[in-house]
Amino acid sequence: MSVDEAVRRHTLLARDGDEQLLGARLVARRKPGQWISAALALLVVAGIVKSLVTNPRYHWDVVGAFFLRPSILDGLVLTLWLTAAVLISSYLLGIVLAVMRLSTNPVLSSVSAVYIWFFRSVPPLLQLLFWFQMASLYPQISLGIPFLEPFVTIETAHLFSGLLAAFVGLTFDIAAFAAEIIRGGLVSVEAGQSEAAKALGLSKARIFWRIVLPQAMPAIIPASGNLLIGLLKGTSIVSVIAVQDLLYSVQLIYAQNYLVIPLLLVATIWYLILVTVLSTIQFFVERYYARGKGARTGFWRLWRGQLPLVPRSSPRRDVEVI
Amino acid sequence: MSEPLVRVRGLSKQFGANTVLDGIDLDVARGSVAVVLGPSGSGKSTLLRTVNHLEKPDAGFVEVDGEIIGYRREGAQLRELSDRAVTRQRSRIGMVFQQFNLFPHKTALENVLEGQLAAGVRRRAAETRGRELLDRVGLADKERSYPRQMSGGQQQRVAIARALAVEPELMLFDEPTSALDPEMVGEVLGVMKDLARTGMTMIVVTHEIGFAREVADQVVFLDDGRLVEAGPPGDVLVSPTHERARAFLSAVL
Ligand SMILES: Nc1ncnc2c1ncn2[C@@H]1O[C@H](COP(=O)(O)OP(=O)(O)O)[C@@H](O)[C@H]1O
Ligand SMILES: [Mg+2]
Repeated sequence: MSVDEAVRRHTLLARDGDEQLLGARLVARRKPGQWISAALALLVVAGIVKSLVTNPRYHWDVVGAFFLRPSILDGLVLTLWLTAAVLISSYLLGIVLAVMRLSTNPVLSSVSAVYIWFFRSVPPLLQLLFWFQMASLYPQISLGIPFLEPFVTIETAHLFSGLLAAFVGLTFDIAAFAAEIIRGGLVSVEAGQSEAAKALGLSKARIFWRIVLPQAMPAIIPASGNLLIGLLKGTSIVSVIAVQDLLYSVQLIYAQNYLVIPLLLVATIWYLILVTVLSTIQFFVERYYARGKGARTGFWRLWRGQLPLVPRSSPRRDVEVI
Repeated sequence: MSEPLVRVRGLSKQFGANTVLDGIDLDVARGSVAVVLGPSGSGKSTLLRTVNHLEKPDAGFVEVDGEIIGYRREGAQLRELSDRAVTRQRSRIGMVFQQFNLFPHKTALENVLEGQLAAGVRRRAAETRGRELLDRVGLADKERSYPRQMSGGQQQRVAIARALAVEPELMLFDEPTSALDPEMVGEVLGVMKDLARTGMTMIVVTHEIGFAREVADQVVFLDDGRLVEAGPPGDVLVSPTHERARAFLSAVL
């Protein structure tokens, strides 16, 4: 039935001006707030850039000269190595701790809880110093059953170099946080998933690695990205025990030439680059685990500023700020 | 009645002080379909879940093809089986859930592969069988789709294919159409009817009385954890003797 016919039959009510309304062009609301905020932001950025360029005390020439110095690159490599090693070992330990924490076995669950409580409470720097001083606390470590003749005995003085102390201390620290992140991810997976898997005849290990953990990943990755970035920067505390990471290499140089600011800038720029790379990797990993979610995932997200350089930078459509 | 594939005897289950199953006795003949009816909370899901040991019984036992599920007989004792042995028993029992429970991070075909791969079937062979099964439930063109890209009816059909992939001798259905929009109920029931015709032994919890009338060999009625009525659909559905069964049927019909 056409509109005309419907109006004739009195099932639709006609009003004057309907024709005009139907032909009208839709005009979006103006958003002056966006323009004002953009102008303000531009002013601030311009100010910062001007001072960076015109203030001679930044010594950009020195920054350039030292940026690729071998000793600094060595420090950079050590920072990367330490970060990667700690990441891997702490996440392996974290998975074990998370599974223990969720276990129905009260002993395992309590052991994990105590571990997490302890290592979340102790500042990593303090732990680092402890491990470094291990030799004064336990001159020897013996492996065996308490009160019986030990199987192996090791001199701790030879055991804990600064680097190993850093590795162990940071691993124990990060593992406690990783365990909590992983546990949160695991419990976010519906119970129906492991039930369906059990009903299919999947073993416990298979259910964990193939069904539950992959589904926990979307919940685990964003928080882990933060933790990893924190770790990368946190490795700089090893400079305290004279391990030559990126920061310490820089400090060694400015201790001799007193060009403190430009050398700190060298380290700053390197950390910026590293974190940018990590954030980019995180973006792609998140995209991988979002498969099957039906979410639009494509390169265009990069353009829309969704690259998580700043966590969760995407403006939500339903929240209009200005 | 031929030799039963499933024998449930004196099966009881409590959750705390709540008795959910209270001495259930039930036989399901090989190749037959048993439909379980009963009001919400009467213990239907728990009964199914006990059959494949997702829940442990507090008393009584379930026997499938002569094997006690979850336990091993040792003189006067029933000893709990190892995880591995229970896993092996479960792989002979397929289960379809109300909420489908497909693996959302896997495509339709990968969902159907998962049980076979766990059972040690080679990927090639598993894929061939997986495609056959998807074809059988009418979803040959959906093998690359993820669960969220499919309708409820399609998801449930994939779930049926997934359960069938490990070649079970018994299929359990827990309200397979209750989460579906009305227009999709038919396609899932259709697949189940086909399956019944091939001689699969099935225990089906459903509120679809039409399905029970048409397909069931046996209809049982649960009320408050007790099996209060059992018999051929012509008897139980037409002239139930138990008062609760009568009230329930007049409400759903
Ligand atoms: N895991 C559980 N813990 C405690 N109570 C449960 C659990 N599962 C089921 N129940 C209780 O058992 C009773 C029967 O549940 P269920 O078997 O799901 O009934 P139905 O499937 O017939 O609706 C309900 O009262 C329910 O609350
Ligand atoms: Mg139920």
